[in-house]
Amino acid sequence: MACQKKEEKQIDQYLDGELSAAERKELFAHFEKCPACAAHYRELNKTVMFVQSTSHLEAPPRMTDQIMQNLPSRKKKPGWRKWGRRHPIMAAAAIFVLLMSSSMMSIWNDQSAGQIAVAGGENVEVDHEHGKVIVPEGEVVRGDLMVRNGEVEVHGEIQGDLTVINGEPYLASAGHVAGDIEDVDQALEWMWYYTKKFTTEAFTWNTEE
Amino acid sequence: MDAVVKRLIKAIKKEDDQDAFAELVDLYKDKVYQIAYRMTGNSYEAQDVAQEAFLRAYANLESYDESRKFSTWLFRITTNLCIDRLRKKKPDYSLDAEIKGTEGLSGYSQLSSEELLPEEQVVAFEMQDWVQTEIAKLPPKYRSAIILRYIEDLSIKEIGDILDLPDNTVKTHIHRGREALRKRLRNI
Repeated sequence: MACQKKEEKQIDQYLDGELSAAERKELFAHFEKCPACAAHYRELNKTVMFVQSTSHLEAPPRMTDQIMQNLPSRKKKPGWRKWGRRHPIMAAAAIFVLLMSSSMMSIWNDQSAGQIAVAGGENVEVDHEHGKVIVPEGEVVRGDLMVRNGEVEVHGEIQGDLTVINGEPYLASAGHVAGDIEDVDQALEWMWYYTKKFTTEAFTWNTEE
Repeated sequence: MDAVVKRLIKAIKKEDDQDAFAELVDLYKDKVYQIAYRMTGNSYEAQDVAQEAFLRAYANLESYDESRKFSTWLFRITTNLCIDRLRKKKPDYSLDAEIKGTEGLSGYSQLSSEELLPEEQVVAFEMQDWVQTEIAKLPPKYRSAIILRYIEDLSIKEIGDILDLPDNTVKTHIHRGREALRKRLRNI
């Protein structure tokens, strides 16, 4: 044991290579007078040399092979991120399309889960039990008829277009549709329809202004 | 060395060049194995840790900051893995080390065995064995500091980076580890 805290600390500093020449001299002068500190220093020095003398080990010869055989896939940044950085406008467009379609999908999902909805015809019969909308014989629908989530049986007459979303149009032999019959049952088709309608409306609205 | 390492890392990151990674393993495997062996005190576990350290380095290479030394990053992964293992089987390190000390030292002999007489070899071997055993008895935090300082010959600053400790704490750990070894060395 070092006789004093101060010397003990100095020995540590000396072994860490942090003592100035003057301090070193002072410490070694102290060793001359104090055999306990001198012994303490000698033992520590010997310890360090022993530890340093341990031979350096080599890794087992097959280690590199073993590692290479077990190589996992690297956590790379996904490719599209790099692509996005190189084509920012395309990336923005892609995000726009993604957001648009997801909002449309949510509208679609809201509607397809719901009940029969009829737009345009006042004098049609709605059969909720069978999921049917019937244009009875002799009745005339002035303008367009749009039905969602239901079959449509046309026995009478529709003067405009008939649009069936998520359903089935059925035209009886006596029935008559003056305009187009459109059958939309895929989300994508519906989206197309929706966009078409939207642009047409926007366009008409523009011309009206 | 540094330029070579930088080139290899670039090749791995850019082209996923596995041969470059194999070169990197060859450059560092001895040091990583050495740290793992001195930390865990047994060759089987050392191999396992060294292998896992390299696999982790490969998988997480994106998170390596190229402005810093690669060895610091790699040794950090290695010591962390060792400390995790030691923590999991806590009571081992003070009791088991003495029994396990002899294995895995086969690699050391090349250095000196040819020049030494048989009885000298035995002494040298026992000394090696003693150092390994005594290091293995140190608490892990002193152990890692002593290994990095005196066996890997790293600076206090580098050790601080590897162990994520301030320089003064590293010094304290080295001093305490050194003192504990000194006390035991007196008895032989």
